[in-house]
Amino acid sequence: MTLLKVDNLRVTFPSDHGPVDVVRGLSLTLGRERLGIVGESGSGKSMTGRAILGLIPPPGSVTADRLEFEGTDLRTLSERRYRELRGARMSMVLQDPKFSLNPVITIGDQIAEALKVHRSLTARQRRVRVLEVLEAVRIRDPKRVARLYPNEISGGMGQRVMIAMMVVLEPALMIADEPTSALDVSVRGQVLDILDDLVRRRGMGLILISHDLNTVARWCDRIIVMYQGRVVEELGTGQLEAAKHPYTRGLLSSVPRIDETRDRLPVLNRSTL
Amino acid sequence: MIRVSDLTVRFGQTTVLHNVSFSVTGGESFALVGESGSGKSTILKALAGQITNWSGALEIANEPLSPGKRARLARKVQMVFQDPYGSLHPRHSLDDTLSEPLIIHGLPDRDARVLAMLDAVGLPRRFRFRLPHQLSGGQRQRVAIARALMLDPPVLLLDEPTSALDVSVQAEILNLLKGLREERQLTFLLVTHDLPVVSFLCDRLAILKSGRIEEEARVDALRAGRFETGYGQELVKRSRDG
Repeated sequence: MTLLKVDNLRVTFPSDHGPVDVVRGLSLTLGRERLGIVGESGSGKSMTGRAILGLIPPPGSVTADRLEFEGTDLRTLSERRYRELRGARMSMVLQDPKFSLNPVITIGDQIAEALKVHRSLTARQRRVRVLEVLEAVRIRDPKRVARLYPNEISGGMGQRVMIAMMVVLEPALMIADEPTSALDVSVRGQVLDILDDLVRRRGMGLILISHDLNTVARWCDRIIVMYQGRVVEELGTGQLEAAKHPYTRGLLSSVPRIDETRDRLPVLNRSTL
Repeated sequence: MIRVSDLTVRFGQTTVLHNVSFSVTGGESFALVGESGSGKSTILKALAGQITNWSGALEIANEPLSPGKRARLARKVQMVFQDPYGSLHPRHSLDDTLSEPLIIHGLPDRDARVLAMLDAVGLPRRFRFRLPHQLSGGQRQRVAIARALMLDPPVLLLDEPTSALDVSVQAEILNLLKGLREERQLTFLLVTHDLPVVSFLCDRLAILKSGRIEEEARVDALRAGRFETGYGQELVKRSRDG
């Protein structure tokens, strides 16, 4: 079943030298699957995620031939209706829990806030849901953690709290923008595992935005490679080695390997791309 | 070139480093790897004089360190930090940033030295009077490396120098560091959690866990995935599985 259909998406920002397209004609369809979007800083990958959620701030503008989520045309949606969708049906996990959690509200209250806005539950029911969802993101002592403030938990736990906040309303689509790049390697795998588990069990669609080609490849059903606002290549799982576009090949070869013996790493030659 | 013996660091009740000892010879590139909280950055901070409540013995370039010898230390050892956005003064041009150490130490030929350093780290000379916000992340990291090298120290401490960068830019900075080390016979002490970077840039490494060195090995052992301790094996496995 198709969750999301995007045709010819363009995101434009004005600049001193006239309008600049940061996303240029991107098309994709997403079912209940894991899609990876990979590219460098400035490739337009994060802007794509934000455009789908209707979070491009003015003076930026978004146009598309089609932008459809669960049959709803997002292009003509009012801000009020969009807000009802966001959080409830589609949500976003951001890179750094340090900056995305409110420092003066307890973890439990922050998660409960989404329930307060979107659902009519009693305080007791909300409390139960909060503990359930903390357990779902593998937080061992949810009762204790719910009472803590963000500065009292580690980065890895913070990111799990963010995920808990996003899944408490059981959205159909989750967009994770670099969900692990602020985390230590030792907890990255765990966070990805949790996301994976949620996608499988709750049948969510997931868009994972990252600059880490290898992680995304190991982890997603399909990968889109973006460069300068365009999709340059689309690959299935395990096809990474078969990538043809010089940009993808360049990115792959510029990553050092654990058994590295090259004297110099190849660098992307942007003038030939 | 660097000797660390029985380094112990306590913050309040907690001991973060327990009798850590290792040494790095001149021209060698040595890595400290481990998870967050293993104490690897604390070792760098002690060597750079950023923390003073350590015990044990530290020596850089045949000079024993003790708290309070900062100015002399600056010509022996310099540090490159992880975040190129946070480690440069936002209102100082590249010229200000690179000239400052020369002014402090009263060195002549500032003009020529700044230009030579821009060339050495691959920054165009026309960038000389730009401010950090006019540069990309990779260019800023080049400035941070240039700043560290202005006083010609024999030792560079590198704290996750590429983990905030895109992979394609990471490759450029890693190549630059490797080239500079060869040209200037620098000694590197690198802190990272990224084992492939160690494989590319280093000769030897020490694996830290909870403030203790678990294992010291040559980089060949890392490439072959043959560490002696279980913890070393686990790190390699995690790195492979992402």
